[in-house]
Amino acid sequence: MTGRSRGRSRRGRAFRRLALVALAACALALAFIPSATAKRDREKAAGGSTATTTTAAASPPSTTASTGAPQASAPSAATTTSAPAATHKHDGGGSERSAGGTAGAGKGGSSAGKGGSSASKAEGQGGAGASGTGDGGSHGHAGAGRRGATHAGGAGKGAGAQGAPEATEEASAGGEEQATAETQAVRGAGHGQGSGRKTSKGHHKEGASEGARAHESGKHGKTKAEEKAEQEKTEREGEQPAGSGQGGGSTTPALGSTPPAEALAPVASAASATPGATSPGPVASTLPGAGLATPARAAHRARPARRSARRHRAGRPAAVGARAAAGVGLAPPGTLDRGAGAGAARTPRASRGHRSSDGPASRIVTTITRIVDVVPAAARILIGVLLALALALAARSLLSGLRTRRLERQRRELLADVGLLQAALLPEPPARLGPVGTSVAYSPAEGPGAGGDFYDVFALEDGLLAVIVGDVSGHGRQALPHTALVRFTLRAYLEAGLAPRDALQTAGAVLERQLGGVFATVVVATYEPRERVLTYASAGHPPPLVLGGPGDAGTLSPVTICGAPPIGTGMRTGTRQTTVALPGRARVCFYTDGVTEARIDGELFGSARLTEVLAELPPEAGAAELLERVAAYAEARPDDMAACVLSVEGGDEAPRVLVEELEIDREEATSMRTESFLRACGVERGGIAEVTGSAFGAAGRAGTVVLEVRDDGGTPEVSLRRDHVSYLHARRAEVGVAR
Amino acid sequence: MRSKADNNDSAGAFAIDRRELDARTSAIAVTGELDLTTAPQLKWMLVDAIEEGRSRLVVDLSATSFMDSTALGVLVGVNRGLEPGGQLLIVCSRPSLLRIFELSGMDGAFTICATLDDALAGPAQRAAEAS
Repeated sequence: MTGRSRGRSRRGRAFRRLALVALAACALALAFIPSATAKRDREKAAGGSTATTTTAAASPPSTTASTGAPQASAPSAATTTSAPAATHKHDGGGSERSAGGTAGAGKGGSSAGKGGSSASKAEGQGGAGASGTGDGGSHGHAGAGRRGATHAGGAGKGAGAQGAPEATEEASAGGEEQATAETQAVRGAGHGQGSGRKTSKGHHKEGASEGARAHESGKHGKTKAEEKAEQEKTEREGEQPAGSGQGGGSTTPALGSTPPAEALAPVASAASATPGATSPGPVASTLPGAGLATPARAAHRARPARRSARRHRAGRPAAVGARAAAGVGLAPPGTLDRGAGAGAARTPRASRGHRSSDGPASRIVTTITRIVDVVPAAARILIGVLLALALALAARSLLSGLRTRRLERQRRELLADVGLLQAALLPEPPARLGPVGTSVAYSPAEGPGAGGDFYDVFALEDGLLAVIVGDVSGHGRQALPHTALVRFTLRAYLEAGLAPRDALQTAGAVLERQLGGVFATVVVATYEPRERVLTYASAGHPPPLVLGGPGDAGTLSPVTICGAPPIGTGMRTGTRQTTVALPGRARVCFYTDGVTEARIDGELFGSARLTEVLAELPPEAGAAELLERVAAYAEARPDDMAACVLSVEGGDEAPRVLVEELEIDREEATSMRTESFLRACGVERGGIAEVTGSAFGAAGRAGTVVLEVRDDGGTPEVSLRRDHVSYLHARRAEVGVAR
Repeated sequence: MRSKADNNDSAGAFAIDRRELDARTSAIAVTGELDLTTAPQLKWMLVDAIEEGRSRLVVDLSATSFMDSTALGVLVGVNRGLEPGGQLLIVCSRPSLLRIFELSGMDGAFTICATLDDALAGPAQRAAEAS
């Protein structure tokens, strides 16, 4: 209990710490946002630091490679741009020419982005990339603004791709695919190329570095191109409808959805065989394909392209060219979808040289930054706190959810364990053991008295049947280990072949040390079905009720005087044993004191009432019914009730006691208790003194003697014998030898 | 007080009372039922008496209507915990309680007397009376 609350408070502390950390993080973030943006703006103004440049330019070429891939003819152009970069990167920096090519790619991308933007602006200018995108948007497939935006970006990149080859003026390997190129696209390509050329001139060096970076990120051109092509293939397959929609009314749709397999091959070959080999034709066809094929991917790269465009305002002419091209064959502005519109909105600004307009994301960032700029410090802190709280709550709900699941799992496991433990402590015997019907029942107490009762019914060798029913002092969980200990110890001795009394005596001596002040009352019995003899020994436990078949056949009333004390009381136990003959039909009921101590009308239920209930039970009924009836009669059950009923088939002969045994030492031999015992067994007063006298002598100074009173119907026959429990005495003898 | 002893209606009202008979003798009288809930009170009263140096403890169960295994456990525990020379005497004449002692096999472990006077008379006198 305390442990649990401690754990809870610990968790509470952890939670508070977490909340604090989150709060601090949010506050820091808020404090840094304005300064960070300002810094970035400054960098942009300065024409871009190397860091930004690389990132900006790095993506476009690789994008082109990827975007180009799906398109039948695109690959050549696309890969070319990226491939050279790769090669030259590996060559150690890159030659001027290829550098120019890459630069062109980068720039082309940027200008294409502008072209896209102008398209959305619907300025009436033509552009391949723009038209590709515009068509996609207008043909309504995109629906989703994001997709449209991506197309725009993709288109832009496509343009970039074209730009690169143009600049490098190399031959294309994918010439065949040209045939499939769309007029519009070609036209757009022309524009894109033009722009690419221009930019490439202006940004030679940077292009080189960009290309290099592009490949730094992509390991090598070839593999990357292949990978991308493959990725795009899958992506594009998924995007089929969008692709066709983007294609517009022209031949492009066919292109857009051309099998990626075709596209793949050229890409790979172009990448590996002729880096930088491109012709305008394929480039042109790239455009729509690029835009269509990989919207998602293109989206990522579109931004850097735009960024670079923004940075290099020198490339504005190119942008303008692209824009002009974009206008060609553009869809009417009204038909542009939201995505295209977004792209348009973004890019115009880029072309105008707006530093902060960086696409939708950057726009949001800018907006947020502006808002944050005007938010008072107090409000900022408040927002931070709220954010932290939200984070903390989310974390907490997550944790509690996890905990709930864990606890549920643990509960299931525990219930399973409890079931197993219960089964181990209170086993369910088979309904029949040989010729004897067996049944057991256990009913926990109402209140704190629960726990402590135990029973076991099992078969022994030679067809014998054994019963153990007992009660450990103390209740609840503390009693459980002791019940198991006593039960299994007794069971082991019975299995080893000891008679009930011997088993009790041995167990008593052994358990005395282990019970630690706890004591256990128990009755142990064996039934021999061939002879129909029941032998039981009790240690402080009520003896079993033995009823003959017919109700009036008589209830056995065995001698209870000189009962053996419970196990664990420090006294020698297992000193009494009773042997009963069950010639006819009979019922034997073992029970714990909880049954007789149940209350009825303010009185104890008692063994007499229990006998009545047992006699009234139908033949097929067992221990469970017995306890149910007792519970029905009783108004209070302060202790556990356990019962075990053995049913023996047969005639109407009544059960009778055959032998009563009492083990006594010298001192006990002459005690009044022993005298009472003999009297109860029917030994005549005259004979008692004789018996006790001989017992006194036979027991010796330290030994014991067993008085055996055999009742064969006539005068009881008393015999004295010295039989010791072999196990216990053997142990003692061994110890003596060792000393 | 003793008149209530045989009245079953007094079962519900539990009372426990300790009297110092002499320097070494404490008599503890229990009225009502000795069970799981009340037996601990008997235990602590007996433990207190032992700690105060009483070596002869008389538990008077004449007015006790019922006792269960828990109470028996208390008596067994105290009996075992007695120092050498210590003595636990039980005054009990009610057949139902005597039956409990008998069935539990503990009748041989305690000195059970019919009356308080018997208990205080000493073993020699008891033996003489018995014969």
